Amino acid sequence: MAAWDLTVTVEDLGPDAPPHQISVTSDLHIGGVILKLVEQTNLKKDWSDHSLWWEQKQQWLLRTGWTLDKCGVHADARLVFTPQHKPLRLGLPNGATLKMRACFSSPVFRTVMGICRVLNLRHPEELSLLRPVEEKKKKKDKDSSEELYDLTDVPLTAGAQNNTLKKLLMHYCSKVWTLYNGMPAHFADSPKTEAVYKMLSVSLPSPAPEAIAKLYRPASVVDKTHIHTRWLDSSRSLMQQGIQENDKLWLCFKYYTYHDMDPKYDAVRLTQLYEQARWAILLEDIDCTEEEMMLFGALQYHIGKESLSQDMVSSCQGMDDLESALKSLEVKMVGDGNSTDINTVHNNLIFDHFPPCRPKRLTLKGYKQYWCKFQDTSISYYKSKEDRYGEPIQQLNLKGCEVAPDVNVAGQKFCIKLLIPAPEGMNEIYLRCENEKQYSQWMAACKLASKGLTLLDSSYQSEVKNIQTFLSMQRSSSAAPTAQTDDSINTHSLVSPRYQKKYKPKQLTPRILEAYQNVAQLSLTSAILKFLQIWQALPDFGISYFMVRFKGSRKDEVLGIANNRLIRIDLGVGDVVKTWRYNNMRQWNVNWDIRQVAIEFDGNINIAFSCVNADCKVVHEYIGGYIFMSTRARQQSDTLNEELFHKLTGGHEAL
Amino acid sequence: MDDIDAMFSDMLQEMDLLTQSLGEEAESAPLPKPPSIPDPQEMNFSIGFTDLNASLHDLEDNDLDALMADLVADISATEEKFATKRDTFTGSAPVAPIPSQPQNNFSLLVSTDTFRPATSSNSIAAPPPPPASKPSKEELEEQMKADKIKLALEKLKEAKVKKLVVKVEIMDGSSKTLMVDERQTVRDVIDNLFEKTHCDCNVDWSVCETNPDLQTERGFEDHENLVEPLSTWTRDTENKVRFQEKIDKYEVFRNPQNFYLWKKDKKSLKDMKDKDKEQLLEENFCGASVIVPDLEGVLYLKEDGKKSWKQRYFLLRASGLYYSPKGKTKASRDLVCLVQFDNVNVYYCKEYRIKYKAPTDHCFILKHPQIQKESQYIKYLCCDDEWTMTLWLTGIRIAKYGKQLYDNFKVAVRKAAGSATWANRTIQASSSASTPSPTPKAKAANGHAPQPAVETKGSGNQTTFPPPPPSMEILPPPPPNTAKVNKFPPPPQFPQSSFPPPPMDDLPPLPPPQEDAELPPEFLPPPPPSLTSNGGEALPPPPPDLFASLPPPPPAPQNFASAGGAPPPPPPPPPAAHKPTDFVRKVAPPPLKRTTPQLTAPSGGDFMSELMTAMQKKRSHQ
Repeated sequence: MAAWDLTVTVEDLGPDAPPHQISVTSDLHIGGVILKLVEQTNLKKDWSDHSLWWEQKQQWLLRTGWTLDKCGVHADARLVFTPQHKPLRLGLPNGATLKMRACFSSPVFRTVMGICRVLNLRHPEELSLLRPVEEKKKKKDKDSSEELYDLTDVPLTAGAQNNTLKKLLMHYCSKVWTLYNGMPAHFADSPKTEAVYKMLSVSLPSPAPEAIAKLYRPASVVDKTHIHTRWLDSSRSLMQQGIQENDKLWLCFKYYTYHDMDPKYDAVRLTQLYEQARWAILLEDIDCTEEEMMLFGALQYHIGKESLSQDMVSSCQGMDDLESALKSLEVKMVGDGNSTDINTVHNNLIFDHFPPCRPKRLTLKGYKQYWCKFQDTSISYYKSKEDRYGEPIQQLNLKGCEVAPDVNVAGQKFCIKLLIPAPEGMNEIYLRCENEKQYSQWMAACKLASKGLTLLDSSYQSEVKNIQTFLSMQRSSSAAPTAQTDDSINTHSLVSPRYQKKYKPKQLTPRILEAYQNVAQLSLTSAILKFLQIWQALPDFGISYFMVRFKGSRKDEVLGIANNRLIRIDLGVGDVVKTWRYNNMRQWNVNWDIRQVAIEFDGNINIAFSCVNADCKVVHEYIGGYIFMSTRARQQSDTLNEELFHKLTGGHEAL
Repeated sequence: MDDIDAMFSDMLQEMDLLTQSLGEEAESAPLPKPPSIPDPQEMNFSIGFTDLNASLHDLEDNDLDALMADLVADISATEEKFATKRDTFTGSAPVAPIPSQPQNNFSLLVSTDTFRPATSSNSIAAPPPPPASKPSKEELEEQMKADKIKLALEKLKEAKVKKLVVKVEIMDGSSKTLMVDERQTVRDVIDNLFEKTHCDCNVDWSVCETNPDLQTERGFEDHENLVEPLSTWTRDTENKVRFQEKIDKYEVFRNPQNFYLWKKDKKSLKDMKDKDKEQLLEENFCGASVIVPDLEGVLYLKEDGKKSWKQRYFLLRASGLYYSPKGKTKASRDLVCLVQFDNVNVYYCKEYRIKYKAPTDHCFILKHPQIQKESQYIKYLCCDDEWTMTLWLTGIRIAKYGKQLYDNFKVAVRKAAGSATWANRTIQASSSASTPSPTPKAKAANGHAPQPAVETKGSGNQTTFPPPPPSMEILPPPPPNTAKVNKFPPPPQFPQSSFPPPPMDDLPPLPPPQEDAELPPEFLPPPPPSLTSNGGEALPPPPPDLFASLPPPPPAPQNFASAGGAPPPPPPPPPAAHKPTDFVRKVAPPPLKRTTPQLTAPSGGDFMSELMTAMQKKRSHQ
């Protein structure tokens, strides 16, 4: 067989080095080519990660057993000998950028699996990679300001990435990671990597309101369809999709269905999902009502505060147990608390009481001073301190009442509004406190009493403290808007720009405070879970929008894809025209030549559409992906059925 | 103080008589617990009656007995409590804030529930476990003390259990009276009513409250507590509690498509496959958060304080009920929140066309449960038709209760399936179930089988048949402590007296297949619930042959006779039975003298004597 010269560029020799010419025959297999090449370079190093990339055809020659002939490589081919793992700048859901090595040769689906393995993120099938938005603006200040976390060194400690990956794989398979210092072993190598893990597993402080306002926000459903032009194809490799070394990509949760969420193993996953949800809300990617926004704001504040106070991730399990045991004991004791001494807070309180059921007459004047006593779940008030042993003027049982703050720190107004249910309606009562301290004590007491708890309850002190910290927000909100520190935060950074415009911090704080009272007792994890839960309960949750044109229709319409259904939306009005559920779906297929998706539903319903801006492969992947996700519940095993995923999402290219 | 003392000794004597006639161990005849000033909110202890007398007279024998037993038990518990406490206080151990004496929260019907299997098992578990590593003597003492404190506290907590006597109207115009304990959920009460009413036990049965002032009606949800809402009723209330079937209660779980896919055409929804329905439920109720049906549409809203009704476009979200103001879009950001569901319940209204000039009669209101009269804090809404109203009410309930509703439904289905086999309820069973209920906790632990049924089986085998070893084998895995407690009642007790109600416990457990053929004629009520309960628990049913061939053993007829004569209420548990198990109760029941701590007011005396008269009267009629 005739020998011919094959041109191969060895990337490790630098960009200026001339390509090597190796003499080969067509029946030489790829492995042989590599061997020859390595011998010729005369360079001693670990080449195990290197492979041949065929530039013109944009494909990897990974099957070392195949001959050049079988691969279709001829003398005109320009091959590059290059590592399969290259560094990538990865944007995370929390906005941070992490530099790490990723596989450029395997399908993106598997690359994401590898990345998630390193990041300790379970269920990588729910995530994918996005190209960044084209940046037109001045790039320089963007790059310089960007804080870069670096994980590229991690795999290098062992010399070769493959070894480390194997190590990681072993960890991953055993599911229960060996934890050092509360984190997976490979993060415990150095303070630098520890910091990376902290960034991954602890939610970041609230951003400055200006930063939120500056970021891109989709203004309409049409805007929301643009994101789908940026997804990478899961069945092709990064190199094949034109991604270069050190390029930036975003790692995002793509499918809105989160399987088997377990706070015990999912510290990173939960945090990153929370971050993605938080940004979706802050950037108005998903619409919510004002009430919901206040609750989201309160939860963000709480999560931020709890994350700060949490010393690293290493919360000792034993301590938790002990604490809960103590707490339950305490509750038991408290439940029977009758000893009046402890149970009573004597406080000189300016107390305003109006005749029940005439709240309309409330004006600012007419606060009368009374001596008030808080006992069990009731407030009794007396004419004066001296009368306090006699009969109270009135006793109000706060159990089941609504408590709302009416506070203005700047104006030194500390009022508590009580709505006490009575058979005839609600009694509206305002308590006016003298100062912040008194306010926090009484507010906490009222709040507990409304739930039927007494001052003896273990949560009383923390409740008081929570209220105090929150009040300090109002004081400091005029200060320079910086990131969240221990007890100062600008409430504007908790809500989307729409509400930043609508309310001044002064107006916003009391509203968030009101919502905050219902969540202040949550632990960090439960607060995050609650946030996610409310997010998932939003009517528009989990819908990915695509601009499509239905067959036979003359105008563009929007197709919403959710985890259980397809939604046809009228572009003009924004109304739902029709929904089709997947469980009525017989089959779907893509005509790759005319780029058209055709779906058949039960009852001979056929629809077909082509995509206007995104590639129809993305639509195809979404539908197939959701169907794949729905099979997970039935599968008992933990292993990811990669083959099935590709079968459902790959299209003709996968095979 | 003195006259109170005198009064109590009177009562004590009466009670002594009573207990003796009951064949109780007289030695433990305890002293009435000093009733304290009833908390004003807890005065209202009977629902649906003009006064306490009426309620007591109406109470069925078994309930009365149970009540009595409760009180007796309560008294002894109080005694023990003080004994324990004296112990603790004499010690120099650092005593955590120990409440001196529960003062406020005793209402008249407050009592310790000694029947509660869960409680007794709890307290059994609690007593000082000898620490594994040999601690020093002091440590041991400390430990003991700490445990005692804990126990005492537990007892105190129990002692606060509030009970209501409730008259429940049944659809046929009759009514049942039952005692409801504050720990009981509506589900427990429904089960109780199933046993009393011989109804078909389907999942639609609900306990509802009606308010004639507001002309409203609301079905309580199964997980709610009944006592709490009832105790907020005003004293002169005409509100009623009803037991009736409500189709809407769980319709969403039978036909979720009608609620979740209501926009689709009716025809395709009608023949939806069961598999698809299940999937709908799974999607909407089994995820991380419950999905609320996306309801939207025009409803009429009665303007605050005005007479007019205005049309508004409403939307339901998990976070509340919203409407879009005039001239605005339906986008979330523009919505105005009418109400959030945390503090309100949703009520069906009747004839609001007349009462409030509503556009249609399909109205519902949202209000705080404590509001009982017309008020500006009530939100009045009106729908075009009945189905729309069902949609909205169901949607609001889903938004408010979330997954709990689905869990309730699943329990209801299980119960209904279980009850289907019990169709012919026995009086015994009903009396057994009216014993102060097992706690929900106990229930959960035992699956759906009501505790009393298990007791029936256990003790039945023990007492009625001369226990042949094989009969033990066919017993289901012995129910935990409950059965144990009741299994060894002092045998002489039963034949001895004719009128103390023989416990249901000593009826022979007869497997359903044989019951009709084999039963002695006097034995009216057939199927022992025990078996079904076993079946429900997926335990192997006892081989029927064994019983089939057995003629009722000698002691049985006696029991039957008395059983046939009167609905046998459960006897107060003989204290002896508790002795081996319960640590606290082991503390010798104090003799007939009073330690009488902190007597406060005599108000309870009336009730006690009232109760006793009522009991005696009933007895004498027998």
